[in-house]
Amino acid sequence: MRANPDARGLLEIAATTFRADVLPHVAPEARFAALMVANALEIAERELKGLDAAGHSMLGALSLLYGEDADDALSGEDLRKRVEALQHRLCIEIAAGDFDNEGQDVLMDSLEAIVEARLGISNPKALG
Amino acid sequence: MHVVKASDQSPPSLLSGDNRVRLEQWLAAQADASRVTVTEDGRLGGGAISLNLAVTLDVDGGPLTGRHACVLRAEGGGRISASIGKLREFVVLRAAFAAGVMAPEPLLGCDDPAVLGHDFYIMRRAEGLGAGHAVTRSEVAQPELARELGRQLGLLHRITPETEGLDRLGEAPDCPAQETLAQFRRWFGELARRDPVIAWGLRWLEVNAPLPGAVVLCHRDFRTGNYLVKDGALTAILDWEFSGFSDPMEDLGWFCARSWRFRRPDREAGGIADRADFYAGYEETSGRRVDPARVAYWETAAYLRWAAIAVEQGLRHSSGAERSLELALTGRMLPEIEMDMLRHLRAIGGMAVDSVASGAVEKVA
Repeated sequence: MRANPDARGLLEIAATTFRADVLPHVAPEARFAALMVANALEIAERELKGLDAAGHSMLGALSLLYGEDADDALSGEDLRKRVEALQHRLCIEIAAGDFDNEGQDVLMDSLEAIVEARLGISNPKALG
Repeated sequence: MHVVKASDQSPPSLLSGDNRVRLEQWLAAQADASRVTVTEDGRLGGGAISLNLAVTLDVDGGPLTGRHACVLRAEGGGRISASIGKLREFVVLRAAFAAGVMAPEPLLGCDDPAVLGHDFYIMRRAEGLGAGHAVTRSEVAQPELARELGRQLGLLHRITPETEGLDRLGEAPDCPAQETLAQFRRWFGELARRDPVIAWGLRWLEVNAPLPGAVVLCHRDFRTGNYLVKDGALTAILDWEFSGFSDPMEDLGWFCARSWRFRRPDREAGGIADRADFYAGYEETSGRRVDPARVAYWETAAYLRWAAIAVEQGLRHSSGAERSLELALTGRMLPEIEMDMLRHLRAIGGMAVDSVASGAVEKVA
């Protein structure tokens, strides 16, 4: 049985409360640590909420190169494994020189989309 | 870096009890003094890798007689792959100071574990603001500061592997680009087969590697955040723990990388001014021209180097070697660093693959 609120719900309210009610009252010498705590809570919150969506974005980015359709049905562990397998394949091809002379534009688009998906979780502000 | 950060845990008892007595006796012997008293003024920031303690020395007798505001810099919790030991750092600092670089004056270095347990050295304490966000807060650009930083780097780069007293640094690399690439491959290990952005960065460095040119003493962490500024003027260049012999353009690429522009990514020289200001200062003192293609090469290397360090910092936390939220969050900076690298590769797209290396060679030749 799932408890209510679940981990995601708890993290969300903890992060919001921390930022609104705790951070403003933190002494200057603890402010840096407090900001790091807020940052960590928010990353964890985004990861719990958005990991599958990021996985689908990465799959979509890799399909630019491999033409595999971004299987919307995949989720959780299966999705993660598919993304990892395609990323591994891409690493091998890059190292073998497959993109040295052609295909760099598509590769760059794909790499940017992969990083954007991960940035959406770790630091959306840097998406600029 | 000389800012007290809350992230620093309470100082380990580096100077408690017997340690202080041993340190004072050692200092007195080294300084030819009849007595030295050490007063602790608190821990300074920048301690992710090293431990920086503000101390005041009261020296009775000998050439150093008097009161000195100093920093005691000791080996921190865990050395990372890129860092050199404290004694090597001391040697570098001495060479830089002797060459007229605005580095804190190094006074005494110690590699006898019987004194404090760790290698450490003592240097004069410089004043000023260091934090990158503070230094780049200024509404107006700071071209004179950038030019002065360029001049300082130029002075440092006059130091060659033949300079006396640098034996501790080991052999200078024949080909810095190839050595760096091999080092990155070791550092990234398996990640280069899992993360295609890292794989592409490494491949790009391999294909575009310039032929060897000049090899000089490089700071290797010369960037905004690692120098102090007071009333708009440079007071000291800090954090020499990554120093070593390399291609001089490596330091310029590192300085200009987006990662160190803080509030002002539009100001390409360290978030403070244009590249032209920084380059002009460099050319005034270094005795060589800036090679923009080579700088671009080393800027790509800068992102990979910073990525490798971030990954390693994250692992220091995750492995349990050193539990720390700051290290954990540094590990999560990887995508941001990778995005900066991709932006850089896009920006120099016109000279990607083949053209960088040949262009650089022509200019060097």
